[in-house]
Amino acid sequence: MNKKAILLIACILIVSMLGVMFTGCGKKETPEKSGTGENGDGTTEQPTEEPSDGGKKSGEEEITFPLKEPAKFTMLYRDHPSYPYREDWILWDEIKKRTNVELELTIVPMSDYEQKRNLLISTGEAPEIVPSTYPGQEVNFIPAGAIIPVSDYIHLMPNFSRQIEEWNLQEDLKTIKQKDGKFYVLPGLREIAVADYSLAIRTDIFEKHNIPIPESWEDLYNALKKLKELYPDTYPFSDRWKGDALLNFASLSFGVQGGWGAGNGIYYYRDRDEFGFYPITDEYKEMLKYFNRLVKEGLMDPESFTQEDEIAVNQKFATGKSFVISTNTQEIISMRQKMKETLGEGNFKVDMLPPLEGPKGRVISGMRLDNGIVITKKALDNPNFEALMKFVDWLWYSEEGQTLTRWGVEGVTYKKVGDKFELLPGIKAGYLGINVDDENAKDLRNDFGMGNGVFIFSIYNGHKELMYSYMTEEARNFIQKANEICTLRPPAPPVLMDEVEREEANMISQSLMDYVKQMTLQFITGQADIEKDWDAFVQECKAKGSDRLVQMTNEIYQETKDILE
Amino acid sequence: MKFANKKRISVFDVINIVIMICVVIITLYPFLYLTALSMSSEKYVYAGEITFYPKGFTLGTYRVLLKDSDFWISYRNTIIYTVVGTVISLALTVLLAYPLSKKNLKGRGVLLGFILFTMFFSGGLIPTYLLVSRMLQMRNTIWAVIIPGAISTYNVLVTKTFFEGIPDELEEAAAIDGMNTYGILFRIVLPLSKPILATMSLFYAVGIWNNWFGPFIYLDMKELFPVSLYLRNIIAGAQKAREIVGGDVEGFGDIEATIKSASMVVSALPIIMIYPFVQKYFVKGIMIGSLKG
Repeated sequence: MNKKAILLIACILIVSMLGVMFTGCGKKETPEKSGTGENGDGTTEQPTEEPSDGGKKSGEEEITFPLKEPAKFTMLYRDHPSYPYREDWILWDEIKKRTNVELELTIVPMSDYEQKRNLLISTGEAPEIVPSTYPGQEVNFIPAGAIIPVSDYIHLMPNFSRQIEEWNLQEDLKTIKQKDGKFYVLPGLREIAVADYSLAIRTDIFEKHNIPIPESWEDLYNALKKLKELYPDTYPFSDRWKGDALLNFASLSFGVQGGWGAGNGIYYYRDRDEFGFYPITDEYKEMLKYFNRLVKEGLMDPESFTQEDEIAVNQKFATGKSFVISTNTQEIISMRQKMKETLGEGNFKVDMLPPLEGPKGRVISGMRLDNGIVITKKALDNPNFEALMKFVDWLWYSEEGQTLTRWGVEGVTYKKVGDKFELLPGIKAGYLGINVDDENAKDLRNDFGMGNGVFIFSIYNGHKELMYSYMTEEARNFIQKANEICTLRPPAPPVLMDEVEREEANMISQSLMDYVKQMTLQFITGQADIEKDWDAFVQECKAKGSDRLVQMTNEIYQETKDILE
Repeated sequence: MKFANKKRISVFDVINIVIMICVVIITLYPFLYLTALSMSSEKYVYAGEITFYPKGFTLGTYRVLLKDSDFWISYRNTIIYTVVGTVISLALTVLLAYPLSKKNLKGRGVLLGFILFTMFFSGGLIPTYLLVSRMLQMRNTIWAVIIPGAISTYNVLVTKTFFEGIPDELEEAAAIDGMNTYGILFRIVLPLSKPILATMSLFYAVGIWNNWFGPFIYLDMKELFPVSLYLRNIIAGAQKAREIVGGDVEGFGDIEATIKSASMVVSALPIIMIYPFVQKYFVKGIMIGSLKG
């Protein structure tokens, strides 16, 4: 009796739950389907309408800012812990004043921004404008039609279109195209390519012992060797970012990829116009050998690939226990700040090396797109849709918008002296290292809302002059020098996979790249022997599907190449 | 009583005490470490020299924190959410557990089955989100934080088991004297259930105090954020800012370790302070629930 009752209950429960689930799905799907249907119609109609509109442009109402009627657009806002959102930033007032647009924000803590963005977009509850989205993160929203193909609307975005032309970004833009030949994210655009990561060295120690400043990876090896002789109980090179930054920028000069840029293991060989699996090439082996030599001879800290940044920076580099570390143009400033505390001002000198020369020369990545903005389908229902696109164009891409989001308002936060931007007295910009010591000054970012990652994409973004204005002399010199002496590696063309193909490729590359990463570290730290274990590694990669991945990529690439033209 | 008179200390006692002291140190250490970090000067924190007492003592960090209005607004929110949430959760739990503890309740098995079901299965994130935000329109209200998780199945079961342990005769006597069901619940049963009520309050209070996920998905306005979200952002968010995809430097800027630890200390403090007062009920409540269960 009892058992039967329980069984019955269980059955009822399961059936009812399944029922609920299905109706739930059904309910969820129907509006979405009808939504995409409408949307599909909308998107097929609109572009045909719009261009004719664009043709008429000169005739009637062209949208100009400030708008005649006040408008309100909704936007997702990523709240950065270093400059917490404030309602009273003059940024908001200025946007309102200059465009008559009020932004209604959904504030999301930076810690879990992606999660909430994905949730909101998949439930259709997302605001119209969703910034801080990296190319690649948008692909999941495309099949359901939750975001609009922005490439259909760039005729509404004069600044964006002009920059693509003037800065020759067509090739870069191709990298974010989808199988339908459209792109769904508006990326931040850089006028010039920037190498932001490189090695920092303790110049004072190098000078003290007459060690020449390294120009190539080989020089670096020799320098480290001398340092090791002088300081036998230290590791002269102890890295941060778990070695991912190092492998990323080093791999460029070895003709491969690695670290943060490891990707799915596929590398584009421009001369042959085809893709290959780089981790099993001789070039990759050569890079591993190089770093293995550093570790083996005690020149590089084996913990470089596992330790937390705090330990690498605070406990080793900043306290003089190591002399070489990866850095970027911002981190070097903060490291100096820390070293003022730990070693004392005047007791150290830290400089950033230009990208080092490897077997392929000095190479930096030529990628010139940043994270970007997606527009949800909700925006299409907004009667002010055109104004919305124009607004996005103005705020993120126009020189006026970019000046506002970087420097603020002339006469209120900055004044122009010649070509240079100068902050008014009583205003500091800690993150740029300007007036840092003025305790009572207001901060350009925290108190006024400028320099906000949501609006400036990245500091390397935008007009060259504006970008340079936002940099220390040092960073500026570094970037200029890198651009002079380095060759650019242009971005690989995209492989236009559909959902199923992408899934298959991901299935292969995920476990494959986990293995590659694991073996990369083992080869470098010497847990696996490069000479002896290399063949086994290559075999294992093939067993995990690297050949299939390459073959698939090349096939799809050859088939879909024409869509890009 | 017997043990109190025993003067000899056995080997067991020694080992036991040593082990217990170790456990105490292990549990206390994180608190000590955080407190020490929050009161040290940055120089020593950078060098990683802090162990369990502050070096270069300063209260500067707390002064900075005191001025941070975001922190206090979220702190106030957390207190409101916790107080209101605990009261509601407790009321609902009692009102659900009490009838279920009565053997003569019709459909008790089915109800229990339904309730148990939720312990193992859930509707998933997206349906839940749509329910709360679109159907119930609770987005950006205190209710979104409190209601969806108001009843914890586990707590209901423990409470139910406790109620089952109260002799039926007491209630029958009250009924004979003319008391209705609610009278019995509020005048007879609840006064006898202080241990379990205290325990459940603590469970719920700690749960709500620490909960960041609910507030995170349902709240879009900063003035509604609880302190758990504030903390999560300055700790995990700052971490993220540095690791952002491909090492793209757009989120430059860092929160000092001392600020992080000071805010952790301040936000953990109230819950730690409540604990000793509820503790005596705590052990009792849990034990009773589990023994009879």
